[in-house]
Amino acid sequence: MKNIIKALRADRGWSQAALADQLGVSRQSVNAIETGKYDPSLPLAFSIARLFGKSIEEIFEDETATDAKLAAE
Amino acid sequence: MSQQTFKSASKRYWRAFVPTMVVYLIATLAGSFYLKTFDVEPTWLQATVAVACTLPMLLFLFIQIRYFLETDEYNRMIQLKGFAIGSGITVGAIFLIGFLQMFHVIDRVEVFWFGPAFFIAYGISTYLLGGRQCL
Repeated sequence: MKNIIKALRADRGWSQAALADQLGVSRQSVNAIETGKYDPSLPLAFSIARLFGKSIEEIFEDETATDAKLAAE
Repeated sequence: MSQQTFKSASKRYWRAFVPTMVVYLIATLAGSFYLKTFDVEPTWLQATVAVACTLPMLLFLFIQIRYFLETDEYNRMIQLKGFAIGSGITVGAIFLIGFLQMFHVIDRVEVFWFGPAFFIAYGISTYLLGGRQCL
C-alpha cells in the first residue's frame, strides 16, 4: 500500500528511528511500511495518523480502490 | 497494538536470553564432562543429567515465544514466518532422513542434531525475510 509517511516524516525532520520510538515499533518496521513492503494493522495505522494529525485515508492510498475507480471511469 | 513497545520487548528478551544460554552451556559442558569422566551409574542419573541439559533449551523456547507476542507486529510477522519455515525444513529433513534410514540408504543419524538444525534453518529464514536487524 502506497503512503506518504516518508514525506510527512521529512517535513518534521524526524529520522526513521525517531518515528519508530514515538510509535513504539522498530526502525525496520517504519522502513518496511514506508517502502510499502508491509501494510500496518489498523491500530498502528491509527497511531500513525494521530501522530501526524491526519486521517488514515490522507496518509495511505488504497490502490485497489483507486484501480477500481479508474476502471469504472 | 501491544502495550509493550519493541524496545522494552527486546530488552526483556536479551535479559532472559543471555542467562538462559549461560546456564545451558554450563549444564551441557558440566553434564558431558561428568558422564565422560566418571563411570556414571545408574541410568536414572544419566537421564537426570539429560533432563538438566534440556530444561534451559525449553526455557529458551518459552522466552522466544514470549518475544513473538511482545514485539511489534512487523517483527512478529517476520519471526513467525522464519519459525514456520525453519520448522517446515526441519520436519521435512526428519521425514527424508527417516525414510532413507528405513530403506537402509544411510546409516543412523543422531536425533540430537535436528535441534541445532532447526535453529540454523529458523535463523537463515528470518534473515532472508527481514534482514540482519530481525535476528
